[in-house]
Amino acid sequence: MTEITTLLQIFIWGLTAGCIYVLMAVGLNMIFGVMKVVNFAHGEIMMLGAFASFGLYYYTGLNPYFLMLFSMVIIGVFGVMIERFGFRKVLGTGKLNEIFLSLGLIYILQNAAVKLWTDDIKKINSPYSSMTLDLGVLNITYDRIIAIAFTALILICLYLFLIRTDVGRALRATSQNHEAAMLMGVNVNHMYMLSFGIGAALAASAGTVHAILSPFNPYMGTIPGIMAFTVIIIGGLGSIPGAIIAGLMLGLVQNFTIFYFGGAWKEAVAFVLLIIVLVIRPTGIFGEEH
Amino acid sequence: MKIINAKLSIIALILLVLITAGCTDTSEEGTPEYINIGLVAPLSGGASDIGNDMKQAAVLAVEEINADGGVYVEEYGVKIPLKLVEGDTQTSPTEGVTAVERLITSENVVVLVGGFSSGVTLANQVPAAGKVPYIITGASSSQVTRRTEIDTSYFFHYCSTTDDYSQPILQFFVDELKPMVAAERDLKLALIYRDDAYGKGVIESSVAYIEDNSMPIELVAKEKYPTDETDFHTYLTKIAEAKPDAVYTVGFVKDTSSVYIQGQRDVGLDTLYMAVECNEDPAFYELLGEWGDGQLLESKFAPYAAEYTELMGPYKEAYLAKWDEMPGMMGADTYDGIYLAASAIERAGSLDRTQVRDAIKQTNEQEMLILLEGGNITFDEYNEISPIIFIEQMFWDEETEELKPVIVLPDSMKEQDFVLPDNYEIGG
Repeated sequence: MTEITTLLQIFIWGLTAGCIYVLMAVGLNMIFGVMKVVNFAHGEIMMLGAFASFGLYYYTGLNPYFLMLFSMVIIGVFGVMIERFGFRKVLGTGKLNEIFLSLGLIYILQNAAVKLWTDDIKKINSPYSSMTLDLGVLNITYDRIIAIAFTALILICLYLFLIRTDVGRALRATSQNHEAAMLMGVNVNHMYMLSFGIGAALAASAGTVHAILSPFNPYMGTIPGIMAFTVIIIGGLGSIPGAIIAGLMLGLVQNFTIFYFGGAWKEAVAFVLLIIVLVIRPTGIFGEEH
Repeated sequence: MKIINAKLSIIALILLVLITAGCTDTSEEGTPEYINIGLVAPLSGGASDIGNDMKQAAVLAVEEINADGGVYVEEYGVKIPLKLVEGDTQTSPTEGVTAVERLITSENVVVLVGGFSSGVTLANQVPAAGKVPYIITGASSSQVTRRTEIDTSYFFHYCSTTDDYSQPILQFFVDELKPMVAAERDLKLALIYRDDAYGKGVIESSVAYIEDNSMPIELVAKEKYPTDETDFHTYLTKIAEAKPDAVYTVGFVKDTSSVYIQGQRDVGLDTLYMAVECNEDPAFYELLGEWGDGQLLESKFAPYAAEYTELMGPYKEAYLAKWDEMPGMMGADTYDGIYLAASAIERAGSLDRTQVRDAIKQTNEQEMLILLEGGNITFDEYNEISPIIFIEQMFWDEETEELKPVIVLPDSMKEQDFVLPDNYEIGG
């Protein structure tokens, strides 16, 4: 009989893994929701975020959680550039062009990262790596608490931005109907850039959290990138609440699966979950039929 | 008509260039300008850090050999310099096959050296089967020279096999650890390993060794993880529930260091961790930092520990001078492999691949960086060597803020006795 402490611990591991999925998937969904573009290179943008934080950390030695804010800005601007000089050029010319552009970006970004930072394994040392919070029944490291709290904070900020600000409302309007938004005076091209920038910044935060918790190299983004796609399909394409629920659910399901059935099932269970959700609700949990 | 003639001339010229392109390494007298040696290594992809070490060591060996004029080949009566041609497996079985095919067909290599990761090497050795001598320096599955569905007579296993791994580690647990922590009962051992040919090979031979020798070891957990795994918390939580006396980790640098750190720091599994020899790499010490204090590593090349062979000092110095970093173990195997290839070519007196293969088989030379039973490089009936494997214990130096190893086994090389880590908690 498994002790409740052990199950609670698995819950925490699952929740942290889920937070990384959430940050990735929410960003991906922002881009898809507004631009209707599928960016397969989202995992590589996450990787760039990790390296941006690593670079800042290496040269300044400052707290990596503080530096994460700068890397989010840097990668956010980089995302805007990708949209402006990449996706904008092929937007509306056919889905195949968008897909191949993003597939090409995977190789370009990976190779660029290898050239810049080599493919040696890197790590970011957290100042809290040895500190744990004793909750009586279990101990949680500060890094995990920060990862969970940071994800929650980002999601609250994003929610407030989308609901309370004019720009946020314009973004939502663009995601609902481009033409109507344009007729209402919204600069749709600016909204495209903004959504890509926010998506990239969220991926950068996911990359930094991942890099603080585990060693990494330029190939770190591949699996989280694939999982982020699984999450947005489970949650419903374009739905941010769907991405949050599905991301956390996937993290928890994967970790409990490892515990009860072994690691061989970790990736398979993501797709089992995907199939189950699609059979019951083909649009995903929060997806809408068009 | 003139246009057609001009077009035909251009086509003829292009054909001539293409036909002669493969002959650029041969001088007018028929003596090759270079002897092409193929390096098969993961220069990109997940294991590129190890591939880079292999490449740097190979470059060093080739430069040293060429500094002396190259390799004397009797057939041509002159010394011919070596040329290292890289074949990047990209840490992928399919890309590895493409790389080896290119080395054999386009680059016309005389010998292949390298091959890291059993899963990748078992695939990329297929195009070389029965054609090109392949000195395998980084794939541990004994299948690379024992498989029967292809001709393995050209393959030489110049590294430890998965069978070699088990014996010293398990013997260490029984002889050294058990009396300290489980004198009155079986030692409780947990296994955590990569879900690939390498991980499974080591674990299968370990389990077989325990059973065949009726060792007083109880396997309390056996967890395998996907090769791209970075989050080991749940695996380690499950292992912690089984209360082991030690954890035997079969993985590469990134995963093994994560197991050590996440196990102690996050899960509270304060036990003794043992890593397999492919982690003998500067990156492993750097990633572990203070979390490696008191923990164990199996090895057959220890540049951080004692200088137990004459070649160790000069090699370490030359490597540091050229690459500004410490050498790793896979590089040491590859360095020896390049010298072995050069020596075999010289002894064969020819660049004929079959004659070179025969010369490798008949090798009986002084050991180099890798210590061998009997002190000489020789290949047995399975084309395998018999390396001496030792166990290192790592200690965190507060002053230098570095993790450094000392050899604790075998007795002939021991620098100090094994001691339990400060944070160690007995299992059971």
